[in-house]
Amino acid sequence: MSTKSLSAEYLKGLWDENPVFRQLLGMCPVLAVTNAVINGIAMGLAASFVLILSSVVVASIKKLIPTQVRIASYIVVIATFVTVADRFMAAYFPPISKALGPYIPLIVVNCIILGRQEAFSSRNSVGRSFIDALGMSTGFVLALLVLSSIREILGAGTFLGMQVMGSWFKPWIIMILPAGAFITLGILLGIALLVEQKTRERRAS
Amino acid sequence: MNLSVRMVVVLTAVGLISGGLLSVVNLLTAERIELNRLKEIEDAITQVVPGTVSSQKLYEEDKFTVYASKDASGQELGYAVYASGTGFQDIIVLMFGTDPAIETINSLTILEQKETPGLGAKITDQQAFLRYWKGKDIRQPLTLRKPAVGSPEELGATEVNTITGATISSDKVMGVVNLSLERLRQIKQEGKLASGDGHVN
Repeated sequence: MSTKSLSAEYLKGLWDENPVFRQLLGMCPVLAVTNAVINGIAMGLAASFVLILSSVVVASIKKLIPTQVRIASYIVVIATFVTVADRFMAAYFPPISKALGPYIPLIVVNCIILGRQEAFSSRNSVGRSFIDALGMSTGFVLALLVLSSIREILGAGTFLGMQVMGSWFKPWIIMILPAGAFITLGILLGIALLVEQKTRERRAS
Repeated sequence: MNLSVRMVVVLTAVGLISGGLLSVVNLLTAERIELNRLKEIEDAITQVVPGTVSSQKLYEEDKFTVYASKDASGQELGYAVYASGTGFQDIIVLMFGTDPAIETINSLTILEQKETPGLGAKITDQQAFLRYWKGKDIRQPLTLRKPAVGSPEELGATEVNTITGATISSDKVMGVVNLSLERLRQIKQEGKLASGDGHVN
């Protein structure tokens, strides 16, 4: 059981336990769909929807589920919400659904979601699990937003499809290719570690 | 309750509830998803055969569908062909329009592709690729013109341009169009394009 204050429970997802920069979970969608800001946001929101609802459901049925079949049950719950999100996007946002292609169904295997169920929702109250999922979702969306903004601005000279770089700018095509995802993520992780180290040194002194 | 019975009961219950929920979601969204798909095809037909008011599905087989485009008076404007084939990375789905005699291409549009962003993905770009396809003579198979071209006038009547750095994607698109044209003529000769028996979209 977690004993943090509720606001700390929320805030930990933003930085201290940020799913992307600190826990390195869910790297597949992070690398694959951040070639445009709109895709990053859509993936972030879809994953958040799944994470929040799954956490609430898992936290409310945790006592009924025998430990031996818990992972199977969690996956069914997660897969249900993923399918709901997938169908909903195909029906109401067809262009985004097309751009994200197989990555929406693949949210089922996103480690952030199963990870939170196993590490948090299966041991904490419904309310606390909701706050935790909300914090983790915010952290995930923010990470995708940072990554996709860098990649879209440098790789296409645009932000959300709007031209932001002058005509002098020659897009770095590599940034919207998979290699650009690894380069950007690597640099961001380096920065995150550096910041973490500096904060720790300051606390120690 | 004994543990193994409980495991079976819990998993069955979770599965049933999930299945029930999903069938409701499917009921709610299936119609809209199908409508989106039809609308996309209709939009593409109007785009590749300018002036289309109504269209009719004439012939359908795997990865190949022919629509007849008609203007307001019911006069046949030409055929819109929906076809797909392998691209550089994944399937390319495209649509192009021809005149009724299958002699020229009106225009071409790419409906689905997953080519390399910034290179092969330029096959969806009007300026870099698609505008060079307008009004091509298709009585003979189209051929690729290698060096970068600056304007449609530099190309021969049956030549289409190559995107710099994406020869394969350009070639694959041309291949799909050439193959579809061959098939289109073949089924036309077999008399399978007589309008009237297909259902109206």
